[in-house]
Amino acid sequence: MNAMQGIMQGFEVAFSLEGIFFVLIGVTAGTLIGMLPGLGPITAIAIMIPMIYGMDPTIAMVLMAGVYYGAVFGGSTASILLNAPGISGTVATAFDGYPMAQQGKAGQALAIAAISSFTGGTVSIVLLMLFAPTLASVAVSFGPVEYFALMFMGLVAISSLSEGSVIKALISGVLGLMAVTIGIDAQTGTPRFTFGNPNLLEGIDFLIVALGLFALAEVAFLIKKRHDDSLAKTQNIGSLKLTKQDFKEMKGPLLRHSPFGFIMGVLPGAGATISSFISYVIEKRFTKKPEEFGKGSVKGLAAPEASNNAATSGSFVPLLSLGIPGSGTTAVMLGALLVLGINPGPLLFQDHPVVFWGIVASMYIGNLFLLVLNLPLIPYIAKILKIPRPLLISLVMMFCIIGVYSISFNIFDLYLLLIFGVIGYLFRIYSFPAPPFILAFVLGGMMEQSLRQALTISNGDYMIFLESPIAIGLFVVSILSFAYPFLRDRKRKR
Amino acid sequence: MKSMLRSSNRKISLILIALAIGYLILSYQLPPYPFVPVDSDLMPKALGYLLIILSIVLFFSGNNDAEKETKVDSRSASEMFLLLMVTALVILYISLLEIIGFVITTVFFIFICSLVLGYKNYKVNITVSILFPVVLFYIFNYLLQIRLPSGILPI
Repeated sequence: MNAMQGIMQGFEVAFSLEGIFFVLIGVTAGTLIGMLPGLGPITAIAIMIPMIYGMDPTIAMVLMAGVYYGAVFGGSTASILLNAPGISGTVATAFDGYPMAQQGKAGQALAIAAISSFTGGTVSIVLLMLFAPTLASVAVSFGPVEYFALMFMGLVAISSLSEGSVIKALISGVLGLMAVTIGIDAQTGTPRFTFGNPNLLEGIDFLIVALGLFALAEVAFLIKKRHDDSLAKTQNIGSLKLTKQDFKEMKGPLLRHSPFGFIMGVLPGAGATISSFISYVIEKRFTKKPEEFGKGSVKGLAAPEASNNAATSGSFVPLLSLGIPGSGTTAVMLGALLVLGINPGPLLFQDHPVVFWGIVASMYIGNLFLLVLNLPLIPYIAKILKIPRPLLISLVMMFCIIGVYSISFNIFDLYLLLIFGVIGYLFRIYSFPAPPFILAFVLGGMMEQSLRQALTISNGDYMIFLESPIAIGLFVVSILSFAYPFLRDRKRKR
Repeated sequence: MKSMLRSSNRKISLILIALAIGYLILSYQLPPYPFVPVDSDLMPKALGYLLIILSIVLFFSGNNDAEKETKVDSRSASEMFLLLMVTALVILYISLLEIIGFVITTVFFIFICSLVLGYKNYKVNITVSILFPVVLFYIFNYLLQIRLPSGILPI
């Protein structure tokens, strides 16, 4: 099976009536959730996971890709219309998007954002099609030593690149690793930290952690901010039409920041937030008219939008080719894939090329439909933001509870959900970042397994980790990325 | 503000150290499994000690200038009470879900919760809190084949 055939087959499924229907549901639901302050792609995907049980994997992935892109675009919409970015990846979008909206050009701003996102996403997916198989073919030779080193690097990178204190991010990651040790040990069958509770034997489902730490914790903040009615003030959006001049101005940033965003996305821990900020800064330096930036510049809007969407697609490269997510969002996406019985990794590409290309095709379709279907619907979707906050809060909580119940049918899990909600709330109050926790939670099981496999091979000799050149390289990168924020802080203090 | 932050960091670090010690005690009590070179206690022990080290660093670390702590404002007493009210409602909802059934508990949950949060439009509130559970119940039970508890309703 060659790539072309695989892609065609993927497109066939995605372009069926069923596929189109679910993409539409996905982008709409994603946009809706992404627009709400604080609720981003992680929550959107987690809430939709119960829906995909028993679905055809390709259709389900089409739906999920739609949700993902929708949520990112929803974040941009909130940035442009309300100056209230739903997620950190779209903060830079507000710099020039919001001023444009204030000048009565909200429609154009949305159109520019959508076209830039589409371009960034498309370029990125093409690059993904080229890179992922190559990376997968390298990764086939990876043993437990290399895998452990790789996951270790991913965790250190996301901690050192996340916002705020590095120590807190690392603690968050360690707590995530600790949470995943609860349950029966896969290798020896020893129950660990279950306190004799049979409900804990199978460990904690990751959906509970994702919905608790992100969705419920955000709900607590929504409760505090429920009187803020800025959402209801969404004004008329105006025309979506762009002029030739607009297109001309967009061209440069799009060409520059689509490939750039992709590279940033592939790197573990970097992702949409960092790439969009860097793109904005670079573009400001590149341009002949930097004084326009921050006052509604087309370039200043196109650059971060192309970049963050390219990064979102780029982050799928390590997930699909190595089976290792590099960010909180792709960690939840991995959870969705596992629910469908898909184990991403180098073997997926070898053994199930249809599924692999199906996912790639569905990402492309999600992107396309966002532009074709979602953009014209934005004025209507934005109206849903006028739902009164109290009602919205009650409904989101209900969706979280039913989401968890429908995968486990166990009341105990609902109490766990509440506990993780409280933990997530405390995390937010004391500014501990939650993404390292969820990534550690998803990687923890695999990490422990490969650590012990490696040590079993070497009969307990730790030197085995220093015998593989790839592993040494990965550890060195981990140490460098760990040292980076300290050096940066020192430089700043001077 | 800065000194407050520092003291909150210290409190958290002490709590985390206590957590790590508890976790380590349990790790050392894990029964050994004789036939493997690395047993199930390796990772937990490593994590426990790692957490202690990181917490100690947190204890002594001054606050990063770039770090912004979410403000806990002075009016927060009533807000805190509201959060606890909502939490209590959620606990009540969860514990009654299987006994009384999805539809009835959810209708009451959405209605009361929205009311507690200060939503005054009764007409809309009643409509939404009845419409959503009924439609969702239908979608889950008949379209998605996921059985939500029907409870005391004869469905």
